[in-house]
Amino acid sequence: MISPMRSSLAALSTIGFLAAFLAQAVAHHGWSWTEDGFFELEGTIAEIYVGNPHATLDIDVEAEVWRVDLAPPSRTIAAGFEEGTASVGDTITAIGHRSLDQNERRMKAVRIIVDGNTYDVYPGRVPSN
Amino acid sequence: MEFLSAIEQLAPVRALRISFYAYPLVNAAHILSIGVLLTGVLLMDMRILGFLQAQPLQSFLHLMRRVALLAFGGAVLTGASLFSIRASEYVFNPAFQLKMLLIAFAGLNLLILHLTASDADGMPLAKRGARWFATFSILLWIGVLVCGRFIGFL
Repeated sequence: MISPMRSSLAALSTIGFLAAFLAQAVAHHGWSWTEDGFFELEGTIAEIYVGNPHATLDIDVEAEVWRVDLAPPSRTIAAGFEEGTASVGDTITAIGHRSLDQNERRMKAVRIIVDGNTYDVYPGRVPSN
Repeated sequence: MEFLSAIEQLAPVRALRISFYAYPLVNAAHILSIGVLLTGVLLMDMRILGFLQAQPLQSFLHLMRRVALLAFGGAVLTGASLFSIRASEYVFNPAFQLKMLLIAFAGLNLLILHLTASDADGMPLAKRGARWFATFSILLWIGVLVCGRFIGFL
């Protein structure tokens, strides 16, 4: 019979593999996962989520869907952008920072522009004109 | 999917989705539940593995089991609330899926322990079988914890 010690080791290595798999997932909290320079994305809205832990938009750019992170719902709503503010299909411009992982279609926006209206979800981080 | 979308539209769920205080507080309650749950589980398993011999087996395991079950109930309630605000997205989150699978395995592990290596009172017998289950239990619950932490990062 295999000893509990050996089974622990086997199980521990399984956990190790699990951790390695999960570690590939890039952390999307804060700004550490994004580029320093500004990035601009223009497309049509595919999905709107205004809620915790932070609001997101899915933006269709030439048949590729980008995930755009916004601020937490309270800050996003305070910026004037609510669930009913824009509709799926609207043209949108998102300005912010792109993911460091170039294979990932993902960015975090500081400002979004819909229908001529500008919403600064991170007013302290918007580019100075 | 329609069922999950319907959950997202419930009034209390909508309120939680955009709340400033409620969501972090439910989140904190979920963490509290998990902390208590893992404390109960780990101490219970360690006692079965032969550590903490100063604690009388029967009363200690009974207490830890009660603590763990209560905390599990709290974790399920708070976890379901956190899940509900964006159910149709979280259901496809690989970390969430793996977490649910590991919880199912942990439940199965507990069930088999009860059926094969416990006495009439439901006390684990001090033999190798029970130690196996205790070892798996520790690893599974730590796996659940790690998966849960990763849900927000995928």
